[in-house]
Amino acid sequence: MSEKKCSCCCGSQEVDSCTLAELPVDTKATIVKILPKARGRKKFADVGIVPGSELVIEAHAPFGGLIRVKVMETSMALHKNEAADIVLRKEGEA
Amino acid sequence: MNKTTFRIALAGNPNCGKTCIFNALTGARQHVGNYPGVTVESKGGSFTLNGMNIELIDLPGVYSLSSSSPEEEVVFQELTKPGIDLIINVIDSTIPQRSLYLTTQLAELHIPMLLTFNMADDAKKKGLKYNIPKLEKYFGSPIVQTVGNSSNGVQPLLQELARTLSKLEDHGVPMLTYGSDVDDAIKAVADKIDELKIEKYQHIPARFFAIKLLEHDTCVWRLDEFQSVHNEVEAQIRHLLDQHAIEADTFMADRRYAMLSGACRDTITITQERRREISDKIDAVLTNKFLGFPIFLAIMYATFWFTFTVAEPPMEWIENFFGWLGEFVGGILPEGFFNSLIVDGIIGGVGGVIVFLPNILLLFFAIAILEDSGYMSRASFVMDGIMRKFGLQGRSFVPLVLGFGCTVPAVMATRTIESERDRTVTIMVLPLMSCGARLPIYALLIPAFFPEKYQAFTMWIVYIIGIVIALIAARIMKSTLFKGEGEVYLMELPPYRMPTVKSMMLHMWDRSKMYLQKAGTIILATSIILYLCNTYPEKTEFSQDYDAQIEAVQESKSLTDLQLKVLEETGLLEGEELEAVKEEKAIPQEILDGWAEEEKEFSEIQQAVVDAAQEQNDEIVALENAQMNEALEYTVSGRVGKVLEPIFAPMGFDWKISTATIGALAAKEVFVAQMGILYSEGEADEESEGLRATLSKQYTPLQAFCMMLFALLSIPCLATLAIIKRELNSWKMAVMEGAGLFVLAWVITTIVYQVGSLLKIGTTIIG
Repeated sequence: MSEKKCSCCCGSQEVDSCTLAELPVDTKATIVKILPKARGRKKFADVGIVPGSELVIEAHAPFGGLIRVKVMETSMALHKNEAADIVLRKEGEA
Repeated sequence: MNKTTFRIALAGNPNCGKTCIFNALTGARQHVGNYPGVTVESKGGSFTLNGMNIELIDLPGVYSLSSSSPEEEVVFQELTKPGIDLIINVIDSTIPQRSLYLTTQLAELHIPMLLTFNMADDAKKKGLKYNIPKLEKYFGSPIVQTVGNSSNGVQPLLQELARTLSKLEDHGVPMLTYGSDVDDAIKAVADKIDELKIEKYQHIPARFFAIKLLEHDTCVWRLDEFQSVHNEVEAQIRHLLDQHAIEADTFMADRRYAMLSGACRDTITITQERRREISDKIDAVLTNKFLGFPIFLAIMYATFWFTFTVAEPPMEWIENFFGWLGEFVGGILPEGFFNSLIVDGIIGGVGGVIVFLPNILLLFFAIAILEDSGYMSRASFVMDGIMRKFGLQGRSFVPLVLGFGCTVPAVMATRTIESERDRTVTIMVLPLMSCGARLPIYALLIPAFFPEKYQAFTMWIVYIIGIVIALIAARIMKSTLFKGEGEVYLMELPPYRMPTVKSMMLHMWDRSKMYLQKAGTIILATSIILYLCNTYPEKTEFSQDYDAQIEAVQESKSLTDLQLKVLEETGLLEGEELEAVKEEKAIPQEILDGWAEEEKEFSEIQQAVVDAAQEQNDEIVALENAQMNEALEYTVSGRVGKVLEPIFAPMGFDWKISTATIGALAAKEVFVAQMGILYSEGEADEESEGLRATLSKQYTPLQAFCMMLFALLSIPCLATLAIIKRELNSWKMAVMEGAGLFVLAWVITTIVYQVGSLLKIGTTIIG
């Protein structure tokens, strides 16, 4: 699955490509890449947030900041700052 | 080889039901400690199985072995130590792919492994079917399916464990590869490591360390032993990047997921896929952007309502029991020093603490329900945004709620906060959450000084002042002392689960135990010390002969025969009471108070007699109090109080409040008992009407409010300082915390008192 190279969305100008921080709730998306400058890359990798994984954006916390995603059938909460470094390709509504 | 003693490590992800399995295996034979230097709990236990002695180490729950958290470092250290015979790897079989990620790394250690697919019942409900023999081949380890939270669910584990231990030597080899390109790099590094022939890590394959080095694992990278292969590692990483465009720090993770998805595709079939599980449906409401917060508030309100309402009857029982015990012990012991030390000092002091046990137990029980069901992590999620505005974070939230019960377990609960800075700030503001020990002070003072309709409101105000100051303090600390970027935030929201009674009880008990220990040690000691300070040195010579004066008053103001006759003939008194009054020529104060209470109507002659009797009593009480005062001022408490009075005076505290306040620094519960002794009300508790009446004649509502404020803002008890020292591993922090809170309490209480006095708010004595 690591061969899934994507030529269309690395510029983040494409319609379907954006960061985890931008996508609305109930969107299904595939992780395209995690920017090299991202903090906690390894930590995310350990819970399955790696290029190629599919995730669903489940909720945004009431007072902002946290985003809840379902990845590998587990709900994880992470912060917008870090989510902004995760580039996704939108796959549609969940 | 006839080995009979085995060391087994229990490893698995957080929330995989590992603790359930651990409890089921070891029962009560557990010991809990700390890994040196880090705030990670170490848990061990032992049991026997078919004559084999088994020592079980419960490792902290981790997602990976990549040393990106203190827990992961601990697991790494423990597993690389020699002497572990077997790893039991607990896997949440409802989410095999994620759970097995850790397994791929454990397998690289080449320690025999037993895979426990836990929550087999849930997986079945979810429609997951496993090809167990095929999976066993993949991981080279036997697999057993369990249901950790049912009593028979771990039976298969015991059988399989016995079988595995009997043939440890012939465990299989996992069929896990990273792909030829990466495997080549691993092999190159592993060969270099093999050349080093490191004695210390002989029992672990070089391949394990090679993989760790290639993914820049900080723990392995730090080890001096591997210093000489660093160049080779860097060369291999560069090669992989150039040739295959693989990113250095995550390619291992990438490949592990790739091999897992291959293995899972081969061995697991899903017969029915329920799109939205019940858990998600609940969450759509509970963590909803708009509903989440109001629901959270309602749940918190319900928690506290439950705690205080249900706790009331048992609190009464305990109170009655200690009252009875005091009387009973007081009756059998000879009058004198030991009698009053035990009855007033020890039974009164410790009893005053135990009374609040139901409150604490119930609060912790309610929190255990919220935690075990999974709601607490949702609450953290919902509250994170607000908490962040004050320099805290979502995970600070649970400890802060526990702080309303007892600060000591609350400080312990901050261990879940990964960021050391956030954790320190949370601990520092925790004592400002109004803990259970401060309740008796509010419960004594509020009814005495505030009109009924404002009582609940005053209580809320006190709690809210604590919360607001805590949040402001956190904000200030975070932007000054503890500046900087926080850790990466990542929190799992486990699916909702029905909490089991057993685990809730364990949870509740673990925390309440600390409160009880405090009662048994610090409060007992303080009660005794304060009792001694209040009694000695004893004054034998007074400025006036009080006894003679009291006698003179009794003589001169005694009720005349005529007055006694009025009492008898108008039927105001009869029977035994009348006889006693006739004998003493005085009416006991309790009877007079009783009449006043029921607002009894008197005729003119009756009123005259009652007034005379009251006058006599008042004069005697005044003399007794004056004598008592002189005696008290002579004692250690009195002297200390007098010396410190100038410090406390700006807050409106006289020397009596000052001594009680100082005692309360050791433990807040002592305050009420001390006030009781100083106002000679004997065994006082927060329900003492007599003490309330006396206090309301002595102090203004403003002063009373200042007493509560100071109690709220200063350190709850010495046990808190001790636990802060332990958890932050620094005496300096603990002392700073104690001193800082004292200064904070002094400044704020002084401002309130001075401004209140100036504006004449609550400055009239109401009694």
